[in-house]
Amino acid sequence: MVLDLWFVFRVLVFPGFTFLFFFTMFCDWVERKIEARMQNRVGPNFTGPAGILQPFADIVKLLTKEDIVPRGAKKTVFKIAPILSFSIIVFALSFLPIDGAAAIPNSSFAGDLIFVMALITIANFFLFLSGWASANPYGDIGAARVLTQFLGYDIPLFLLALAPAFLAGSLTISAIVANQYLPFVLLAPWAFVLFIIALQAELEKDPFDIPHAESEVVGGLETEFCGGKLAFLRLTRDTQIVFGAALVVELFLGGPSGPVFFGLPAFWYFLWFVLKLLAVVVITEYVTCLFARLRIDQVLTANWKVILPLSVLSLTLTIAAATWIYPLVV
Amino acid sequence: MGASLQIQPAHLGKASIQVKADSNRDVLKLLLETDKSAGIVALTGLDMGEKIGLMYHIRTNGAIVTIRTEVPKENPKIPTITDLIQGAQFHEREVADLFGVIFEGHPNPARLVLPDDWPENLYPLRKDAKIDDVTVKTENPKNQAETAQAQSDGDIVNIIIGPQHPALLEPEKFSLKVDGEIVKHVEPRIGYVHRGVEKAAEQRTYLQDVYLVERICGICNACHAACFVETVEKIMGVDVPLRGQYLRTIILELNRLHSHLLLLGHAGLEIGYETLFQYMWRDREPVLNLTELLTGNRIIASAMTIGGVRRDLKETDIPKIKTQLVTLKKKMDFYHQIFESEPSLKMRTKNVGTLSKEDALKLCVVGPVARGSGVAIDVRKDEPYEAYGEIPFNLITRTEGDSWARLMVRLDEVTESINIIDYALDHMPQGPFRIKVPRVVTAGEAINHVEAPRGELFYYVKSNGTAYPERVKVRTPTFANIPSFIKIAEGGNIADVPPSFVSLDPCFSCTDR
Repeated sequence: MVLDLWFVFRVLVFPGFTFLFFFTMFCDWVERKIEARMQNRVGPNFTGPAGILQPFADIVKLLTKEDIVPRGAKKTVFKIAPILSFSIIVFALSFLPIDGAAAIPNSSFAGDLIFVMALITIANFFLFLSGWASANPYGDIGAARVLTQFLGYDIPLFLLALAPAFLAGSLTISAIVANQYLPFVLLAPWAFVLFIIALQAELEKDPFDIPHAESEVVGGLETEFCGGKLAFLRLTRDTQIVFGAALVVELFLGGPSGPVFFGLPAFWYFLWFVLKLLAVVVITEYVTCLFARLRIDQVLTANWKVILPLSVLSLTLTIAAATWIYPLVV
Repeated sequence: MGASLQIQPAHLGKASIQVKADSNRDVLKLLLETDKSAGIVALTGLDMGEKIGLMYHIRTNGAIVTIRTEVPKENPKIPTITDLIQGAQFHEREVADLFGVIFEGHPNPARLVLPDDWPENLYPLRKDAKIDDVTVKTENPKNQAETAQAQSDGDIVNIIIGPQHPALLEPEKFSLKVDGEIVKHVEPRIGYVHRGVEKAAEQRTYLQDVYLVERICGICNACHAACFVETVEKIMGVDVPLRGQYLRTIILELNRLHSHLLLLGHAGLEIGYETLFQYMWRDREPVLNLTELLTGNRIIASAMTIGGVRRDLKETDIPKIKTQLVTLKKKMDFYHQIFESEPSLKMRTKNVGTLSKEDALKLCVVGPVARGSGVAIDVRKDEPYEAYGEIPFNLITRTEGDSWARLMVRLDEVTESINIIDYALDHMPQGPFRIKVPRVVTAGEAINHVEAPRGELFYYVKSNGTAYPERVKVRTPTFANIPSFIKIAEGGNIADVPPSFVSLDPCFSCTDR
């Protein structure tokens, strides 16, 4: 097989790894800046114009720090798990159409929505492993909390992701995007709102940031990490947020397509995708600033007693609407 | 009892009763019969040469009555009163540590403020104690508390909060026995940063002591200074000019504003509400600026002196202070609305760490903790000092008794404090703001209490007619409130420990004087 230069460029540079890495940094900066402004602070403002290089500087700084593996930690898992979870999330991101097509060309296949969601579950499991391997009680509790929380919220998230799939009549992400003449947020707003809430829990942000409750579990699963491994954990978390936002864009907001469209299609696809993604990031950050952290039992109660039944209801409603109502209207 | 009881009405400026050592319980029982809600304020030990004096300062019907008794130094034994007044537990342990008095029948006579490797038979507050007698041991056989952490007894797991823990910014230790998520038992251990201020105060002049006691607590510093100078003024029989009293009132209330805002913000941090934390601390800044405008210092005001205050207020500064306070008051209305309506905040604090009125009385808690449980005690109302007698303000109480109620009491007290400052500025009398007093204080003794932001602060000062005090006793509000944490945490969820703990507004630099 001849090595296809275009393939390599797409996977490694744009819209693949390099782009995703810098875009993650940018989203992190946007998040920090919004949170700071909402809390009446300045936020990063020193590195680069308006502090835009600060997330990058943080990562570089962490990479230069001494890397310590605590005695008693399960060394192999402790070293590999952060890198693996980061890689898996970037891999999952490469399946989402960014500039009209996914980063890996022709990677779309029937049912890749399920595949991508499964990848995220695995990535979360590696996060759990990294905390569990660190031989620290706070790391253990933090890891157990990650597992408890994502086990609970993975099911509603998946059920809610099925709503756009039913509206589009396909489990393929590219087909779901292509079918959104009207963004699905207009056709199934109930599923969109619930999806944002479940995502907030999945991404461990307030009011659901139980695994990071520093007044209870110090650093959570990150407690024993330092240096490069901590950098990868941070990157995983930031990339997870980008992935979550990207998933919302693909499933509910019409993906990369947009109302204004002329000239070079790749440019417009890309622009609309980034704008929509930033809008989702702003929404999640807004929610984060508004609420206090709930207690773990309150989070689980909210999950099993409220979000799960509601997502089943939402799915039923969506199927009903997709089968009987929308064919009449559209 | 008969001969053992001797009433000395004019003593200490308050009523005091002299009893024999073995009848302290009888007198207390009589007091409790007349007033069921009587509680202990402080237990003062006093080295009297051959004997050790003990003073039980009891709060009854809004006033303090002192029961005095003596025990011989060779055999310092006295029956405990913990079974009569639960809140006396910590007071007795402290006196046992510092004076070597043995309280017979005490349920838990372990060390409280002294380290576990402190030498036996060396009691720091006795006059004959030499600091050179302290030797640092390398071996630590008595350290049972440390070994207890590793054990887990079946389903019960020991969880240690502190001395270093992110939920606890100050070094104290709480050993929690946890069954699953439920806290079964709490054992506090304080004294990690005990500085011996009471002993140090005996080696400094009265004027130096004003600045020493001010540094007991960085947050309620002005209250400590004010309480100390008032006590000394009582001994000397000095009356502070009215303008000085008003200025002190303003400084004390600014102190309360800054302390309450700090705590409310910190409570936000403990429940993961960072936005609230940032907002509260932003709005606390103007209060610090006002303190600086008035006293020249932002935190440790150093404004109090024996005989008045150190600086006068400029007439031109009054409008500046008033504008700032109007802005703050508007913001407090906004926060009131947030605390009343924000669902996630209420989920974390409502019905969390509930302290019933009966328990509050039994454990002798003070300040916003007591008022949050419906106990209407406030020294500013009960025994007005400075200008509080002339200023109208409301006593804020809540009946819920949970963490939320305690935070709400503080939130509403901020508004009251603003009103008090406003009134004091409007009715500021003209005249001198201090008077000159001699450096040597006449022999005598006095007790005094003020309402610090965290609750009632109590001082006892004994003068022997020189420039140095014979004894300074400080009972800080947190010391009185710590026993209630045991009651609040036991039976609750472990995730509720940070919010209920912070709602007590614990200050360990106060506790470890």
